[in-house]
Amino acid sequence: MEVNEESASARTAAQRRAEIRRRKLLMDSEDRMNKIVGFSKADADAVRSAMEPRFHLDLVRNEPWSSSTSSKRLSPHMTETSVSSSKMSERNGSSDAVGEDDVSRVRPRPRGELSGDELTHSPRRGLHKYLSRFDDAIKLRGQLANEKAAQDSGVESEELDSFCLFRLLGSVALAIFVRIFVCQYLSIFAPFLTLELGFMGLNKYFPKVEKKTQTTMLTSALLLSGIPAEVINRSMDTYRRMSDVFFDLCVYFFTFILCHELLMLFDSQMS
Amino acid sequence: MVRTLLKSTFCSVFVLLKVDHTDEQKMAAGFNWFLVLSSVFLCNLVKSFLPAISSFLSKIFQKDADQEMEMRTEIQNMRMELSTISMMDEFARYARLERKINKMTDQLKTLVKSRTAQQSKMKWTVKIVFYILQAALMISIILKYYAEPVTVVPSKWIAPLEKLVAFPSGVAGGVGITCWLVVCNKVVAIGLHAVS
Repeated sequence: MEVNEESASARTAAQRRAEIRRRKLLMDSEDRMNKIVGFSKADADAVRSAMEPRFHLDLVRNEPWSSSTSSKRLSPHMTETSVSSSKMSERNGSSDAVGEDDVSRVRPRPRGELSGDELTHSPRRGLHKYLSRFDDAIKLRGQLANEKAAQDSGVESEELDSFCLFRLLGSVALAIFVRIFVCQYLSIFAPFLTLELGFMGLNKYFPKVEKKTQTTMLTSALLLSGIPAEVINRSMDTYRRMSDVFFDLCVYFFTFILCHELLMLFDSQMS
Repeated sequence: MVRTLLKSTFCSVFVLLKVDHTDEQKMAAGFNWFLVLSSVFLCNLVKSFLPAISSFLSKIFQKDADQEMEMRTEIQNMRMELSTISMMDEFARYARLERKINKMTDQLKTLVKSRTAQQSKMKWTVKIVFYILQAALMISIILKYYAEPVTVVPSKWIAPLEKLVAFPSGVAGGVGITCWLVVCNKVVAIGLHAVS
């Protein structure tokens, strides 16, 4: 009997020691990560000292998962949303699992925690921002290198689709028609504008070609400067449409002048 | 009488020549647009052939091309020989041959690296020379047709953009060199793209 009691007490002591060792390891891993990232130890100590009472409150409950979640909260690598979600889940968990005493102990926690969290938010936010921007810059550099390699190998990404060809032929035909019949009565740009309005309406009847968004130095610089990708995409789309209209105008004007010169040449030869 | 005859002949010849000269001037002015168009077309055509030109020039200036081919064939032969040798039975010979192959492969890699560097250098040189020549041609064309339009149409045809189109000649109804250059560049680029 005595042996059994001794063994039971030894087991509980061993369990306690194992628990303490595990917590120590978890805390140490956080320290290690902070050192790698450059989060100063003094800041971490200050934060930890501020957090200690609540941490201690968590320990009072003697639940094995509480330490891991609270240690996760301490880590500077947690995003704000994940921290808040963990806090929310913990609050929900605490309200469900724990009795009134624990709730009363837990209740002051959120307010106190906020003031401690605010201390960590600004360096964490700045660090997060820096890391995410660095990742974006590396990814964009990779994309640029790939696109440059594709261009060098001679891969033509843009081909004349059916609508482009239709626009081309429409502009040429209209220019010839305007030169022969219309130009004596009004400006040549009026029929062109009408043509462009017609193209805008006919666009939906043609199969849409998915144009791959090209990563260029300009788009990379705009992305890294903080402009949202959607804004950049819309601007690029608008720019593409404007360049299509300009291209139609160039073809139309060129055909008109060519037609005019050829007619003048034939007239002079005939006369 | 002879004097008057001579005078009249001389005058008529002079008038004819003047008319011819004026006609030639008109013809020259009439084909200005074609001259600009053909220059732009030539530039774009040469631009599309730049990779072929640079590879041709790098082949001419390349010194170790034959040596590279010889090394490749030698490595291939040695590899075939290596495949016939049994590693268990003739290990020394196998190892010696493998060392030879590795050494020659390293030499070949160095040669290929230098050739690639030379090719890229040649490509950049050809590109730069072309762009300089193109810029010189465009500038000379712009300076030549700065004051006169490449062609003239009735100004009401190109209203309300007649001033923009006529820039920098300022002639009412004229098509300025800048506008015509831009238009030709666009059209020739798309034409060559469609053909290629």
